[in-house]
Amino acid sequence: MTGRLLIAVALAAALPAGLQGQEPAERVRFDHLKHRSLFPTCVECHQGAEDDPDLPIWPDAESCATCHDGTTRPRVEWAPPTEARPSNVKFAHELVSMMPRKTPQGERALTCGDCHLPADRTWMAVQRATPEGCLECHGTGAAHLAESDDLCSTCHLALPRARRLRAVDIAAFPAPPSHEREGFARGTGHGALATGTSDPVASSCATCHARDFCLTCHVDAPEQPAIQALAPDARSLAIAATLRAPPSHAEAGFLREHGATVRTDARQCVTCHTRESCFACHAPSQQVAVALHARAEGRGAGAHPTRRPPDSHGENFSRGHAAVAASTPATCAGCHVRPDCLQCHRPDAAAAPGYHPAGFVTVHPSAAYARETSCSECHNVGSFCQTCHLSAGLVSTRTLGSGYHDASPFFIVGHGQAARQSLESCTACHVERDCLTCHSALGGRRASPHGPGFDADQLWRKNPEMCVACHGRGDPRR
Amino acid sequence: MGTTPLNPPFRAGAAGAGLLLLAGAAGAGAQGYHLRLDTRIQSVSFRGWALDSIPAGDTVSTPGEGPTSADGYAVRCFTGAAYCTFFRPGPERRSQPLTTTADLTLWGLGVAGLSVHALGRLGADVGGADYWPGTEPAVQLLEGYAQYATRRATVRLGRQVVASRLGTTGFDGAGVELRDRRRGLDVQGYLGWGLARGSALPATSPAVNPLDDFQPVARQIVAGAGAGWRSSGAEARVEYQREVDPKTDKFVSERLALQGAVRPHERVSLTAGADYDVAFGWWGSAEAALAYTDRRVRAQVGLRRYRPHFDLWTIWGAFSPVAYRAADAAVSVVAHRRLTVRGRYERYEFDDAEASTPLFQGAESDGWRWELGGTLTPASGWTVDGVYRAEYGPGAASAGFAGHVAYAPSRRLSIALTGSSVKRPLEYRFNEAVAHTIGVDAEFEASTAVRLGVSASRYDESHDRPDAAAYDWDQFRLAARVVLQLGRGADLQGLPPSIRMLPGGRAER
Repeated sequence: MTGRLLIAVALAAALPAGLQGQEPAERVRFDHLKHRSLFPTCVECHQGAEDDPDLPIWPDAESCATCHDGTTRPRVEWAPPTEARPSNVKFAHELVSMMPRKTPQGERALTCGDCHLPADRTWMAVQRATPEGCLECHGTGAAHLAESDDLCSTCHLALPRARRLRAVDIAAFPAPPSHEREGFARGTGHGALATGTSDPVASSCATCHARDFCLTCHVDAPEQPAIQALAPDARSLAIAATLRAPPSHAEAGFLREHGATVRTDARQCVTCHTRESCFACHAPSQQVAVALHARAEGRGAGAHPTRRPPDSHGENFSRGHAAVAASTPATCAGCHVRPDCLQCHRPDAAAAPGYHPAGFVTVHPSAAYARETSCSECHNVGSFCQTCHLSAGLVSTRTLGSGYHDASPFFIVGHGQAARQSLESCTACHVERDCLTCHSALGGRRASPHGPGFDADQLWRKNPEMCVACHGRGDPRR
Repeated sequence: MGTTPLNPPFRAGAAGAGLLLLAGAAGAGAQGYHLRLDTRIQSVSFRGWALDSIPAGDTVSTPGEGPTSADGYAVRCFTGAAYCTFFRPGPERRSQPLTTTADLTLWGLGVAGLSVHALGRLGADVGGADYWPGTEPAVQLLEGYAQYATRRATVRLGRQVVASRLGTTGFDGAGVELRDRRRGLDVQGYLGWGLARGSALPATSPAVNPLDDFQPVARQIVAGAGAGWRSSGAEARVEYQREVDPKTDKFVSERLALQGAVRPHERVSLTAGADYDVAFGWWGSAEAALAYTDRRVRAQVGLRRYRPHFDLWTIWGAFSPVAYRAADAAVSVVAHRRLTVRGRYERYEFDDAEASTPLFQGAESDGWRWELGGTLTPASGWTVDGVYRAEYGPGAASAGFAGHVAYAPSRRLSIALTGSSVKRPLEYRFNEAVAHTIGVDAEFEASTAVRLGVSASRYDESHDRPDAAAYDWDQFRLAARVVLQLGRGADLQGLPPSIRMLPGGRAER
């Protein structure tokens, strides 16, 4: 009992689900072949197809009841379509009588069977007319989608005029083989096809596309007569287009060379790039991208470049960028604004590790003694190094010889080599008076600090005040 | 500056509010503006040494070793001195620097090409201790100038920083740049009152002289000129700069620099440059580098020479600092689409210092540094990076590993776990420090106008010595950051939001 109840419940639950799963809009189709013995002609039901365009193309539902009356034959639910099928074919059955067809037996008028029966002419094996049927007379022998451009408009409406087409119908348009050809995406591909006819735009384009579709990519749409010849139609966006960078953009050196390309001939850039797309990477300035169109209504959004560093900016680039930046400042300024530089060159006291790795304060003596680069470019010796060393008890605040450099008992008498090699590091803890204790010519041990490269005459000429600190006001060269 | 009666946090807050009001007022009156406010705070601590002394008679002598204090500190005693000195571990210094950096640009001021730029920083130590460098004075103007730019010329008036081979020179004055883009030529010149090196402060500021050393009484006059030529295959540039002490009318510095680059092939470049210290009459730093770059390989070999530069109003240049010469090589290879490996090596040797003495010989005069690392992207959004670095040379050495694992599920969010372990012995002092760190960083872009960041790290550090002065120093470091980016302007409307809000700080992207 319980089992039956469960089955009943399951069936009850499944029934509505099954009903929901049916296509509600699926129309009951008439099986022509099954009725082939009943109807000797097409116009018996489809009167409007041949005799009189004012007559309906479809029979009424009551005509089925002639046989399917529920007694002789079961009733059927067939009903004629209430609206025309979505299509962009500009065909009218009343024109058929004016369409002569050449046959081996001579020229004769087109019949329904010429388009709607299979090649073996099996009576009532009705099928939809195919483009190939039209092209038997209208074509040049090529496949439907490969036919010559001027033939499209013979049978098809331009997309904006095919108002019954829904987006889903447009999205299902088959792509012609021309679209698969190498280079089709370029101007020499689809651009040449679009403009290569006597019409403002090729009818082959207008059949499937409208201006909105072109705006997916084309920034220069207002300057392209072929695009302007297309009417706007948002349904055209149902065909998805993806803007892909041309192969040149992947070539080595492209980032470096593209600026010169724009300056030389911007025409090849304006198709896909707005002025704003340059600003994704470049500093906004008056000079940059002036040859490109600004983003505006009626123009495509174009390419959306992603800012990425050039190949040269790899790991450790910041460590050695000084020489490159010094020789090509304008190149740097193309993408970097001055605050970018000052983020490191005038560092923030509250910034967590950035240029230097975490824990750098622990290892900084090894970097400072033999400087890989100049610390004082970014860190003022006084306000940065000495201030911190003062807090840490690392500055010389009393007489020398307190024993900080204790690895050798004779460091103070032999410190000259260390000092000349790493003088910048010495000045992070020592001030001039520390050294003048011994190195002044006016007192102390009178030890000369002058070593290789010292040119007394040169320095006297440039700034004798420097000499005064140790030698007093007299000329020490005498 | 920096001596207001307000507490430091209030100082920074009041100054920040003032800047906001200024920006708001300026923005309201101008057609367009960008304002980027970057507020950061971190909590750090560090520990050094404290000089101490004991009577010479209280020292303890151990056969075969030097004198020590009774509690085990090695002491330095001079013959006949009444006291011996030593360094004991210093107090822990805790600091919480808080800064706000404002980057403001105004344009649309009625004259095409005219704009106003300001980059200022407000700083304070929330803890009030001011141990951490960089928060004094509380208000610092890094740049503040009016600019008039046309296709062929740019004129700047105000505080500005000029970057060249001779460094980043700050000054208050005027700068002019003329361009002939067709010929690839440009010339520039500038003149003004100079700022201290590596600082937004003048050389007369007490903040750049914490040890009360000799200090100039007047700011130096800085003047410079440069000219450059560039083409698709080569660049060349010459720079000249002089600084003059207006009180004595004598040079503070005078330097000349040459820099050039050639690209014989799209993937090959040769960069070289040198600077000559006209004041001292000697060559300064120089380098030449040959680089190869393609999508998979970046390689570079080079020669370098480094010599520090000192101003003539210090005596340091008369102490004959010597240069070192170095050869280096670096390579980075995309070994697999998910793996990049890199390595770098440099060897250097100092010129003869001509200062050896019989009593102290064997000091290092050459050294090397190298590193080997790799970056792995095991899946979309994931990055694993690790590097081992080692350095050995005069004064100090270091060796250690650093790495991070980062996850960025979108452009708006990134999280990273970081870690490192480094060892650093010194040459001139018994001190072998070892530090281990582990931390986490997170960045979140709440909107196109707001970006947040936090980080927390644990530092475990030990300083080994053969006496009682060895100590451990562990700490947590915390940091937080808020970036606000505001902008308005008719010519910004077409820009993507991310670009519209970041014209001044796009390095953040």
